[in-house]
Amino acid sequence: MKLLPALVIGWLAATVRADTHLAVWGAPQGPDSIAIAQAFELKHPHVRVRMLGMGVGQMNPQKLLTAIVGGCPPDLVYQGRFNICDWASRGAFIALDDLLARDWAATDCPRREDYYDAAWSEDVFAGHVFGVPTEADDRALYWNRGMFRQKRHQLEMAGLDWQRAPRTWSELLRYSKVLTEKGKCLGFIPNFGNAWLYLYAFQTGATFLSPDGRQCTLASPEAAEALDFMRQGYEVVGGYSSANVFQSGFQDGENDPFIAGRVAMKIDGDWSLAGLARYGLALDFAVAPPPTPDDRYARTGRFAGVQDRFVTWTGGWCYAMPRGCPHRELAWQFMKFATSLEGRLIGNRALAMADRAKGRVYIPRIQGLKAANEVLYRLYRPADPRFAEAIKVHIGLMNVSRVRPPTKVGQLLWDAHVRATEETLLGKASALAALTVEQQTVQRELDLLNGRHRYPVVSMAWMGGIAFLAFLVALGVSIVSWRKARLGRLARHEARWGYLCIAPWVIGFLVLTVEPMLASLFFSFTDYDVLSPPRWVGARNYLDMVGPDHGNVLKAFGNAAYLAGVGVPLGIVSGLAVALLLNSGVRGIRFYRLVFYLPAIVPVAASSVLWIWLLTPDTKQGLINSLWSSTIGTWLSLPSPGWLTAEAWAKPALILMGVWGAGSGMVLWLAGLKGVPSSLYEAAEIDGASPVCSFRNVTLPMLSPVLFFNIVMGFIGAIQEFDRVYIMSPEGTNGPSDSLLVPAKYLFTNAFTYFKIGYASALAWTILAVILLITLVQFRLARFWVHEETGK
Amino acid sequence: MSSNLLVAIGTLSAWIGAVCLLRGLYLGLSHRPGFGWPAGVGGSLFLLAASLPTFEGRLEVPLIWVVLPFTGWMAVMFGLLAAAYTGKAVLDSNPKLLLRAGVSLAAAILLVALYRADPENRFVLLRGSIRLSAEGALAIVGFAAAAVAVMASAGRRARERGRLWATHATLLAGCVVFGMPFAWLMVTSFKEDRDMASPNGIVWIPRVQRTVPYMDRKDPLLEGEFEGNWVQATLAGKDATGNYIVEVQRPYSLRGVSFTGRPSSFRVVEKDAPMVSGVGFTGFVVRELSDGRRVVQFLSPPADKGSQRTYLASELEPIRDIGLRTQNYTEAMEAMPPETRHGLVYLKNTLILVVMGVFGTLLSSSLVAYGFARLRFPGRDLIFKILLATMMLPGAVTLLPQFLLFRSLGWIDSLLPLWVPAFFASAFNVFLIRQFFVQIPTELEDAGKIDGASVLGIFWRIMLPQIKPALAVVAIWTFMGAWNNFMGPLIYVNSPENMPLSYALQLFQTEKGGNPGLMMAFATLTVLPVIALFMFTQKYFIEGVTLSGLGGR
Repeated sequence: MKLLPALVIGWLAATVRADTHLAVWGAPQGPDSIAIAQAFELKHPHVRVRMLGMGVGQMNPQKLLTAIVGGCPPDLVYQGRFNICDWASRGAFIALDDLLARDWAATDCPRREDYYDAAWSEDVFAGHVFGVPTEADDRALYWNRGMFRQKRHQLEMAGLDWQRAPRTWSELLRYSKVLTEKGKCLGFIPNFGNAWLYLYAFQTGATFLSPDGRQCTLASPEAAEALDFMRQGYEVVGGYSSANVFQSGFQDGENDPFIAGRVAMKIDGDWSLAGLARYGLALDFAVAPPPTPDDRYARTGRFAGVQDRFVTWTGGWCYAMPRGCPHRELAWQFMKFATSLEGRLIGNRALAMADRAKGRVYIPRIQGLKAANEVLYRLYRPADPRFAEAIKVHIGLMNVSRVRPPTKVGQLLWDAHVRATEETLLGKASALAALTVEQQTVQRELDLLNGRHRYPVVSMAWMGGIAFLAFLVALGVSIVSWRKARLGRLARHEARWGYLCIAPWVIGFLVLTVEPMLASLFFSFTDYDVLSPPRWVGARNYLDMVGPDHGNVLKAFGNAAYLAGVGVPLGIVSGLAVALLLNSGVRGIRFYRLVFYLPAIVPVAASSVLWIWLLTPDTKQGLINSLWSSTIGTWLSLPSPGWLTAEAWAKPALILMGVWGAGSGMVLWLAGLKGVPSSLYEAAEIDGASPVCSFRNVTLPMLSPVLFFNIVMGFIGAIQEFDRVYIMSPEGTNGPSDSLLVPAKYLFTNAFTYFKIGYASALAWTILAVILLITLVQFRLARFWVHEETGK
Repeated sequence: MSSNLLVAIGTLSAWIGAVCLLRGLYLGLSHRPGFGWPAGVGGSLFLLAASLPTFEGRLEVPLIWVVLPFTGWMAVMFGLLAAAYTGKAVLDSNPKLLLRAGVSLAAAILLVALYRADPENRFVLLRGSIRLSAEGALAIVGFAAAAVAVMASAGRRARERGRLWATHATLLAGCVVFGMPFAWLMVTSFKEDRDMASPNGIVWIPRVQRTVPYMDRKDPLLEGEFEGNWVQATLAGKDATGNYIVEVQRPYSLRGVSFTGRPSSFRVVEKDAPMVSGVGFTGFVVRELSDGRRVVQFLSPPADKGSQRTYLASELEPIRDIGLRTQNYTEAMEAMPPETRHGLVYLKNTLILVVMGVFGTLLSSSLVAYGFARLRFPGRDLIFKILLATMMLPGAVTLLPQFLLFRSLGWIDSLLPLWVPAFFASAFNVFLIRQFFVQIPTELEDAGKIDGASVLGIFWRIMLPQIKPALAVVAIWTFMGAWNNFMGPLIYVNSPENMPLSYALQLFQTEKGGNPGLMMAFATLTVLPVIALFMFTQKYFIEGVTLSGLGGR
C-alpha cells in the first residue's frame, strides 16, 4: 500500500527532472561552444544544450526556413548579424524588447551601452532588437614591412616613407605602383582579402539606403567615387582579370598570397591573424587603419567637419531567437549567458587551450562587448609584438566602424553591389551606370515589399478547395468511363486487378506529386514569403520574368543552354567511349569497371572538395593547371585557364567535371552494347567491314534507343543542374559575371535567400515548361533517327 | 647561322623525325618488314633537333606555333579539308567529292571573313620549345603510345596483340584519370594538417610527425573517466578541497569541457611530444606557453641533452617521417557527438533508410510495373505516359509543399519522410522493371491461370522470379541513392540521433572544414561499403541492365 504513493512521487519526480533539451543551431562545433554549453548546464542542472552546426554560421537558409515554417525551429540560432534583419523583418525572429525591458535591472542583462554601436545596431530593425552580438570583426590594412624594407630605395625615390603604411587613397595607389612587380608581386588588390565596395563606400560617406529605409541610394556619387577608386586600384596592378587569379582557390594557409609575399598590402579582417599566426610567423608585417580618401584624411572639402579620419566596416555574429522557439525563457537565459562577459571568457579559454594543445599561437577574436575585448587582450596577448600590436589596432578601429544598413533587402542589396562592382571593374559600364542599374533592382524590390499590403491575402483553404474539386472531377470522370467501358466479366476482373496493382504509384503520384505541384502553381500567382500568408498578385511573377527581371532569367537559361549544348554531347561521347573500352573482354575488366565507376560512388561532399582543388588556377597547386603549364602551356604558349575564376572558363570547368562523372552513365551504355547481337558483327566482318565501319553501321543504329534515352535524360539533367553549381561557385555568388547562374540556382536563391517563394514557383513552372517543350521536340525528332526494330 | 634558321631546321627535323619514328614503331609492331630505316632516320632527326643549340644549350625540341583564334583554326581546318577532298576527287575521279570540297571551301571562306571581321584577331607566330622535362617526356611517351595504339587498331587485319596492349594502356590511363579522386581521398585521409595545402605543390606521400613519449610531471596529462567516457585531460587547477579541475583534450567531441575529480581518480600518462630541430640542435616540445612560445628539451647535441630552453615557434622545424597518420580515423570517430556512439547511430539510421528504401522500392515498383506490363485496363497507356512524364519534374517545384505535407503528418525530424515514399514506386524503376516484364512470354502466365492461380499468385510465384536481374539493378541503385542521399535529410532531419551518414558527412565537412584529414577519413569510411557492394555485385548489376531491354531493342 505504501508502494503506490512512492511510485507516483517517483514518477512525478522523474517527469519534472527529465532533461530539457535546448537546441542551438549554427554555432561553430568548436571547443568554445562545448565549454559554454557545459558551463550553462552546470548552472541549470536539468538542461542539456545541444549545439548543432547545421553548416557553420552561414546556416543553410533552406534548413532554417523550413524548420521555422514547419513549426519545429531550434531554440536559438547563431547567425551572421548581417542576415538577421532580412529574416526578422519577415517575422522569422522574436523581438527581444520585452525580455530586455523586463530584465533591464539585472546584472546579467545585455545593455546597449556595453556594446559597440556598430555591433548592436546591426540587429535593430524598425526599433526592435532581434539579436545580441557575440564576436565582431573589423577590417584593417595589412602591410608586408619586410617587403617595404626591401624596396625602400624605390619607395624613397618615389617620395614615400618605407617605414609606415599608406594613410590615404592616393598614397595607397602610389605605394602599390612601386611595390608591384609584374609576375612576381602585386602591391595592393582592392578586393583581395575582405574589403568589397562597402568598405570604400563607407569611407566616402555613402549610405546605400535613405534614413527611413524606403529608398535605395546605391547609386550615390559617394559610392561611385569609391568604385572608381577600386577601378584605379586594379589598373595599377594590371587589370581586374589578371588580379583575380590571385583571389581564387585554396589560398589559405601558407599559400595565402600575402604570406607568400605575392601581395604587399591587403585589407582584411582580424580573423586573418589566426592564419598569419600559423603560417606567417616568419613574415614581418604590420597592421594599420585602412587608408581613407585624401579629403577625409586632411579633413578638407566635404569632409571638413568630420570627426573620424579613418573609417572601417564591421560585421560579426549574434544569437537570435526564431519564431516558435520551444523554450523561450530558457533560450533567453542561455542567450544572456553566452553573450555575457563570463560566457565570452569561457569560450575563449577553451579555444586557447585547444589551439595550444595543437601547438598554435592563440589570437583572441574581437568581441562586440567592449569589456570582453579588454579582458581578452590582457589574458591572451601574444608574446610576439607584431600580433599584440595588430590586435590593438583592430580593437581600436571598432570605435570608428560602420555596418551595412539593417533592411529587409540586405542580401539583395549585397548581391546587387557585388554585381555592380564586377561590371565596373570588368570595364563593362561606368561606375555610376552600373550602380544605377542595380539600384533600380533593389528599389523595385523595396517598392514591392512596401506595397505588399495592397494585394489581397488569400487563404490556403482556397487551394485545398480547388484541389478537392479537381479530385472530385477526376473521380467522376473515371467512374463514368468505367461504367461506360464495355468489358467482359474476365476483362473487368483483370482491369480491377490492374488498378489495384498500380494503386501505390497512383496514390503516391496524387499525394506526393500532384498535390505539391498544384500548391506550387497556386504559389506562383502569389507574393509569398512562407512566413506570412500569401497575397494574390495575379500574373505579376510571370510578367516580372519577361519584364524587369528578364536579364537574369535569360542569362540563367542561356547558361543552361550552354551546359546542355556542349556538356550533353561531350558527356555522351565520353560515356560511349568509356563503355566501348570496357566492353572489350580483356583481363581484369572487373577492376577497370570498378575504377571507372568510382566517380559516381564518391559522395558529392568529397568530390566537390576534390574538384575545387583540381581546378585551382595557380599552377603550383591546381593539378590540372600544373599539368597544363608543363605541357600545353610551354609548348603552345597558351596561358593556363582560370577555370572557376574566369567568366569564359567557369562553364567548361563544370562540363569537365561532368565528363569525369561519365562512369555513372556507363552502365546503361554497357548494357546497350551487350544488347547488340554478336551475329550482326560477325556478318559485318564477313562482309569485310572495318571496325570503324561496323561501329558506324551496326553499333550506332543498334544503340540509338539508348542514345535517345541518354540525350533526353541528359538535357533534363542539364536544365535542372543545381548541386554542382551550388557547391562549386564561391559562397553566395553565381560564379564570375554570373557565368554559373543556372535556372535551378536562381530559383533556390529567390526562394530561400530573398524569400520570394511566389516568384520561385513561377520560375519552377517555367523550367518545367521549357523541359517539356524540349523533350517533346526531341520525341518528334526521334522518329527520323532512332532505330526501332520492326516486327516486335 | 641565324637562330631563326636554326629553329626552322630544328622544327622540321623534329616533326619529320617524330612521324618517321611512329611509322617505324607501327611497322615494327605489326610485324611488317622495313621498319628499321624510318625508325633510325626518325630517331636521329629527333636527336639532331633536340641537340641543336637553340635555347641556351638546354636539351629542347624547338617548335613553331601559330596562335590563332577559334575562327582562324576552323578556317585552316576547312581549307585543308577542301584541299583533301579535291585531291581525292581527282585521284578517284569521283565528281561527287568535288561538291564536298566546294562546301568546305565555302565554309573556309566564310570563316576567314569572320576572322577578318574582328579587329582583335591577330596572327601570331610563336617560337616555343618542348623542354624535355619529366612531365614532358611522359607526355611524349603517352602521345606516342596513343598514336601507336590508334595505328595498330586501325589496321585492316587488326593485330590482336597490339590491340590488347593498346586497350590495356588506354584503360590504365583512364584508371589514372577516373581513379585519382579516390586515390587522393585515401591519401588525404592519412595526411597531417600541414600537408593539406603545401606551397610546393600537391603532397602525394603523407608524412607524420615523429614524437617522443614524455612523462610531464609539471603539467601532466591525465587519464580518467567523465560521464562514462574515457577521457584524457590536462590539469587546469585545484579547488579548495584539493580536487583536480581538469580540461578534457580527448575524445575530441568533449574537448574544452572541464570537470572536477579526486586526484586518485586520475593517472598520469605519457604525452606524445613532437620532435623538432633548430639551428644546431634537436629536441622535443615539452609545452606551449600562453604567448605561443615553446619550451624545448634537447636531445642533441649530447652535451645539452636533457636541458630545456624556450624558442619562438618560427625558430623550430618539426621532424617528420614518411608514414600514415592513422589517427585521422580514430579522431574522426571521436569527434562525432557522444550520443551518436562514435557514428554508430548514423550507420544505424543509414541502414534503416537503405533497408526500408530497397524493400519498399522493390515491392511497390515491381507490383506497379507488373500492372502496367501484364494487365489490361482502360486508360493504361495514358497513365503510363503520365508516369514517364513525371521523370521530368524539377524537384524544386515540389520541395516546399512536400515539406508542408510531411509537417502536417508530424514526420519532421524523423526518418519517415525519407523512406515512406519508397513504398509508392518511382517512375524510373517502374519503367525499368516494366521493360523486363514485357519480355516474358505469355505461356508462363497462361499456365498459371490454368492452374487456377490468382493474379497476385502469378505475380509472386511466376513473374517475380523471372526478373531477378532487374530487381538486382533496382536494389543496387536504390541502395546507392539512399546511402548518398543528403538533400532529403538536410531538410527533414534536425537532431543527431536521426541523421544518416551522408548528412553527417556533409555537416562534418562544414564543421571540421579546417581539418580535411578527419573529413577525408570520414568520407573514406562512408564510401567503402558502397565500393564493396559494387565490387561484389557488378556482375548482376551490368547483366541486369543488359537484359532489361534498355539496350538496343
